Amino acid sequence: MPENKPDIGRLVDEAAKAIGLPIAAHYRDKVILNYERSVAIAQPLLEIELDDELTPGPVFRP
Amino acid sequence: MNDPLSKQATATDIARAVMSRKVKATAVVEAALTRIETGEPAVNAFTDVLGERARRRAAEIDGGRHRGALVGVPFAVKNLFDIKGLPTRAGSKINLDGPIAGRDASLVRKLEAAGAILVGALNMGEYAYDFTGENAHYGPSRNPHDTTRMTGGSSGGSGAAVAAGEVPLALGSDTNGSIRVPSSLCGVFGLKPTYGRLSRAGSYPFVDAFDHLGPLARSVDDLALAFDAMQGWDPDDPVCTDRDAEPTLAELGEGVGGLRIAVAGDYFERGAEAVALEAVERVAKALRATKKIVIPDAAVARSAAYVITAIEGSQLHLPRLRTRPQDFDPDTRERFMAGALLPGAWYVKAQRFRRRYRAAVQKLFEEVDIILAPATPCTAPRLGQVMMKLGGVEMAVRANLGVFTQPISFIGLPVVVAPVQKPNGLPIGVQIIANHYNEAAALRVARHLEKEGVASAPPA
Repeated sequence: MPENKPDIGRLVDEAAKAIGLPIAAHYRDKVILNYERSVAIAQPLLEIELDDELTPGPVFRP
Repeated sequence: MNDPLSKQATATDIARAVMSRKVKATAVVEAALTRIETGEPAVNAFTDVLGERARRRAAEIDGGRHRGALVGVPFAVKNLFDIKGLPTRAGSKINLDGPIAGRDASLVRKLEAAGAILVGALNMGEYAYDFTGENAHYGPSRNPHDTTRMTGGSSGGSGAAVAAGEVPLALGSDTNGSIRVPSSLCGVFGLKPTYGRLSRAGSYPFVDAFDHLGPLARSVDDLALAFDAMQGWDPDDPVCTDRDAEPTLAELGEGVGGLRIAVAGDYFERGAEAVALEAVERVAKALRATKKIVIPDAAVARSAAYVITAIEGSQLHLPRLRTRPQDFDPDTRERFMAGALLPGAWYVKAQRFRRRYRAAVQKLFEEVDIILAPATPCTAPRLGQVMMKLGGVEMAVRANLGVFTQPISFIGLPVVVAPVQKPNGLPIGVQIIANHYNEAAALRVARHLEKEGVASAPPA
């Protein structure tokens, strides 16, 4: 749905402000491009459903 | 056996010759330093050459000190390993202003305790956020098969130095594929052990959840020799296992009898050039592996690995992104900046999925012992190439050379890369994936392929 497409430029600007990361004007376009790539690569993860009981394993022990 | 002073000499050849006093360690080191001097203008694998230190160590060995399984073997390490007296670059310019290492990294000390001789530090992609081997500060490492092409990264110098025969053994790191990608593109053997199997103490981190260290070499015996010398608990790395060391060298020659071997289908067959799939087929045929299995949700695993990497890695560098953005490599800076802004909810979901995926893959290992998959989707791209087309889809080289390695390191499985050479063509690697802590099985399979002439290092 095109109307649901996020405005990545605005998102980058506001998120950078929120975490105190200055992004110079000449870096901005490439940050946006990389953010868009990340959104695309993250899609398979974002689309799956997980059981509530599945807790994270941040300290991973094989 | 190869001449221990030649480019083709393996670590095994050299250690045998030095041990039996057929050659002096000082002669081995001089030969390696000469090869580095003559090879570097072409391949740019080294950022630091430690001639004085190496000569001193070699003289001590010739004087009867430091005996061990790797006696007299020259080796080099990716420049994210601490080397006493040097700043730990980790491929960056910024770290040159950082602390000087007070002692060598744990694995460097272990290899030297086994008699090996450190000769230098190797080029790498900045802060290991890289699959290309390119570096704006120190120049790209160049593929010895064709110096207009990438080595793969981020352990690009490690792949180039071994493929060019400058040193028989190198150490690299692998977070998402950084040992396996250069092993594939440079055509050398590489081992990414089980997560936590080898100590990471004294190495510059990238993504704690996935960081592994391991060897690249010209033979499977050498991988096993180095791996065995480096095993063992280390209190300085909280992730390092306290399992007893399990030496692998003695059982290398046992062959593949009794091992259930399958080829990874589905995800691992899509988006690869024919050359990558042909290499897997050739290896499977030599192993008489006809079974095909599907690693469930491999695409999600790759996606989750990407998210965890982007968020953890970027968080690590956030202070420097704020204060010294101009000093980053332009090819990593904006990737890190974007990663620092990704939602935390993605990270937690990726970690939750990781548990589910681990359990599903563990189940597969009830049916098989070894899974074969391509190491890279293609052979070495050209230096400077930004985009590539795989399976008809245009994608960024830097983010996608590791599409087949990421779903494996995501859950810390051990992998040996077996290099398949092509006459008048570029090499490509096949991943031999085993269950956790079963490096021995992957090494046995690689040794069998080497013996059958299917996998080999390039003629240096």
